[in-house]
Amino acid sequence: MFIRSKAHPFGRQLQTRTVRILLSGLYAFYPLGCILQLVADGSVVLGLAGVALVVASLAAFAVLAGSSLQRQTQEPENLLDEREREERNRASFQAHSVFSGIVLIGVLYMMLTTDMAANGKLELWRPTDGTHWNAIFGGLILLSFTLPGAVLAFREATAELD
Amino acid sequence: MIHNRLSVFRAERGLSRKDIAEAVGVNPQTIGYLERGDYAPSVELALKLSALFEVPVEQLFSLKPFAPLAHSLRDQES
Repeated sequence: MFIRSKAHPFGRQLQTRTVRILLSGLYAFYPLGCILQLVADGSVVLGLAGVALVVASLAAFAVLAGSSLQRQTQEPENLLDEREREERNRASFQAHSVFSGIVLIGVLYMMLTTDMAANGKLELWRPTDGTHWNAIFGGLILLSFTLPGAVLAFREATAELD
Repeated sequence: MIHNRLSVFRAERGLSRKDIAEAVGVNPQTIGYLERGDYAPSVELALKLSALFEVPVEQLFSLKPFAPLAHSLRDQES
């Protein structure tokens, strides 16, 4: 997802450091906010803190979605030059590997917790209702949108924007 | 690694990175990457750039580091 604005048709140029901070905030605040809401158990303070963190992570995503880095990962091929395409291909490959690994860990966790719960050995948390699944899939969608850009920001973007 | 004299030619012609980028159809950032040696261009881009500056491609790009401009001038004078 890349949000193109009239003022910045090629995306807002952000410093690599800023992008890294936004991505770190997104990846830390979203799961933390969801966990706080999960453990709030009627506590208004914890619940609100959880909502605030999720909103902060979505705000970080909104800024990233309009950045030139996000454009590079989401734009159709014919609108990128050869360097951008080359970097994007490398980043997409690495992002795909990371994303697959995360999904694999999630599936293994679900298998393990389901088996353990069935045997009555250990009761670990599992998603049980629509809200839980929405939070999980929401996180995965955010991750899939931003991971190629994160690879670029943390591994490729050594030179500051001109 | 591919060395280039892109910044020298660009300064000599008084062109901005944006001017060059528009002329050869790339993002201005890519010109910056090229000048810093952070990106090796395709043959097509190298030929487009040499055509833009009207010089043979080997005057603009080289596998060996170019001699500093001051050395070249001194050699020419002596």
